[in-house]
Amino acid sequence: MAPKLIRSLALMAMFFMPIQASAVLKVEITGGSDSALPIAIVPFGAEGIKAPEDITSIIRNDLESTGRFAPLDNQDLVSRPTEQSQVNFADWRLLRSEGLVIGKISSQDGENYQVQFQLFDVYRGQQLAGKRYQVPASGLRALGHQIADVIYETLTGEKGIFSTRLAFVTQITAGDGKKRFALQISDADGANPRTVLQSTQPIMSPSWGPDGNQLAYVSFENGKTEVFVQQLQSGQRKSVASFEGINSAPAWSPDGKKLALTLSRNGNPEIYVMELANGDLIRVTNNAQAIDTEAVWSRDGNEIYFTSDRGGRPQIYKVSANGGRAERISFEGNYNASPDLSPDGSKLAMVHGANGGFYIAVQDLKTGAMQVLTDSGRAESPSFAPNGQMILYATEQKGSGVLAAVSVDGRIHQRLSESGTVVREPAWSPLKK
Amino acid sequence: MKHPIVQTLLAGGTSTILHILLFLLLIFSFDMPTDIRQFGQPEVEIVQATVVDEDLVLEEMARLQEAEEKKRAAEEERQQKLDEQLEKTQDELARKEQEFLDMQERAKLDAEKLKQEAELEQQRLKELEQQRIEQEEARKQAELERQQAEQAKQKAEAERKAAEEAKQRADAERLAAEKAREEAVAKRKAEEEARRKAEEEAKRKAEEEAKRKAEEEAKRKAEEEAKRKAAEAEAKRKAAEAEAKRKAEAERLAAEKSRAEAEQALQRQLDAEAEQRKQKRIAGVLDTYGLQIQQRITRYWTKPANAEAGLLVTLEVKLIPGGDIRSVRVIKSSGSEIFDRSAENAVYKAAPMPMPSDPDAAQKIISEGIEIYFKPE
Repeated sequence: MAPKLIRSLALMAMFFMPIQASAVLKVEITGGSDSALPIAIVPFGAEGIKAPEDITSIIRNDLESTGRFAPLDNQDLVSRPTEQSQVNFADWRLLRSEGLVIGKISSQDGENYQVQFQLFDVYRGQQLAGKRYQVPASGLRALGHQIADVIYETLTGEKGIFSTRLAFVTQITAGDGKKRFALQISDADGANPRTVLQSTQPIMSPSWGPDGNQLAYVSFENGKTEVFVQQLQSGQRKSVASFEGINSAPAWSPDGKKLALTLSRNGNPEIYVMELANGDLIRVTNNAQAIDTEAVWSRDGNEIYFTSDRGGRPQIYKVSANGGRAERISFEGNYNASPDLSPDGSKLAMVHGANGGFYIAVQDLKTGAMQVLTDSGRAESPSFAPNGQMILYATEQKGSGVLAAVSVDGRIHQRLSESGTVVREPAWSPLKK
Repeated sequence: MKHPIVQTLLAGGTSTILHILLFLLLIFSFDMPTDIRQFGQPEVEIVQATVVDEDLVLEEMARLQEAEEKKRAAEEERQQKLDEQLEKTQDELARKEQEFLDMQERAKLDAEKLKQEAELEQQRLKELEQQRIEQEEARKQAELERQQAEQAKQKAEAERKAAEEAKQRADAERLAAEKAREEAVAKRKAEEEARRKAEEEAKRKAEEEAKRKAEEEAKRKAEEEAKRKAAEAEAKRKAAEAEAKRKAEAERLAAEKSRAEAEQALQRQLDAEAEQRKQKRIAGVLDTYGLQIQQRITRYWTKPANAEAGLLVTLEVKLIPGGDIRSVRVIKSSGSEIFDRSAENAVYKAAPMPMPSDPDAAQKIISEGIEIYFKPE
């Protein structure tokens, strides 16, 4: 009797309990693929003209260079629409392409060009972005970068950096055996370089003003180290620091009103802050036993990161911009130098010495964790891209200095310049204002 | 004896006739002097009649009017004198006629003289006549005055009588008015009385009617009450019957129901056991199927490079039997449009999805869909 009763109760309970299987099937996805986003970039229709620039290639290279996008090969394109009415989204879905870029170029006179493009979400069949431009022939390349910026920002949610610029120093050895130094500026992809300063003496440490219109740099042109500030538009320049001893490593404060400098005017290289309006100096570090150099400002302008060997070996420290006690930041290994702060202030890029080599590493300032991003062993002068996704640096290839970039996660590596000239001391410009 | 009126007439007529005769005499004397004879005859007869009647008149007068005897006497006397004069004159005339007849010649001569004398005489006669008329006038005036007095007296009497009559009439009217007033009062009283009686009658009738109605009402109520009680009793009886019937039916139904329930419970138990086995089987299939889906979508998910741990998007995915996508819907967004899109694209790219071979499980997937959570680690 008793077992039967229990069985009945159990059955009754079952009637009143929701059946477990009535819940929808639930699936959790955590892994995902870190691979690049598949995107189809259809060559823009040219409508019977031969444009002086291949805009489609500029866009494709820009996007591909970030490692975030995997453009389909041209031979894999199922069709080549140039207008929305020609697009059959199902085709592009079969290719598993998430984005589709189409466009058109036309010109009446070969001087002025009309360019339009559209970016589609293939799976929803929706336009995500679309613009129409009119530019002179000389502006086509810049327009390609601009369109790549729009596509990049639309699909990643981050600012594109394809319209920014790079500053760097080149060194050539002329036929007479004399060296020629040049301060140059190029597009973000390394193309289109133009010289802003030439010298037979070394040029070092270019630093972009926060407005992107001026550079500070060190020039030996007068037989000693000297810091200049040069307006890029007018070419006008001004010597701001030519003190006794070393004048080096200029760094702009975020508001553009001050320059942090390394000066040895009092015997030992120390960090100073100069008020640009009147040249007033504040001494920030005071450590006669050590070299303090390579200042970089915090985003709020209240602190300065710098390299110091006060601990015996070069490490990164942080100090108030008004001076005071410095705090050590880097602890991994016995060599960390040349810091650069990410635009969001969360990471510090640096040159990390290990095993006799020098690598680009990035340290999370919150956790202190450091990640080495490069493996060449000869990297120097890291500089964050203004969107914080890439780090530009100089390295050596076949005995020649070249520019390279690596994504902050270390997955993407790019070479920005061909060998043949020695390229060093790169600096990535801020975003265009 | 002669009648007095005739005598008066004769007396009055005598002088008149005499005058007429005298007048004729004069005329004929001048126009027809040849007819003398006829003229003398009638004169003689008239004189004689006058003498005879005179006494009779006097007597009569005296007897009739003693009150005016004196006046009459004077009148009579004067009349007598006149008569005497007249007699004398007549005598004279007769004598002169004698003389005229005798002395025609002389008459002619004396005609003028005569004529003058006649005229004189005439004048005297006229005066006499005038006197008589005046006396007559006075008499008539006296008579008139007497008559007027009499009339005034009569008028006063008439007025007195009229006053008397007016007084009587007024009295009569007053009496009539009094009588009318009394009659009106009487009438009003009578009417009031009649009305009072009518009211009393009406009241009495109304009371009677009310009483009658009340009695009827009471009777009706009593009847109704009786009916109602009867109906109630009937209803109660019926209800009791129905209740008894219902109870019996309910007991029967309950017995049936419990029997059916017992059967159903057994059936349910069997069904439930079968369902449980089925759900268990489906659950097992779905466990495996979930892993398949997870692997496939993971393979197709291009996780955004900047996708940080902590992001979570929930999608509801509906499939069609072949495993293709019917719909993908963001149930709960991660807040990042790009992250959400990457998850949706992963689902689209993974299609067509594999489908379980168990038809129950496949049906369940199709009808209920799949919830997919994307949460980067």
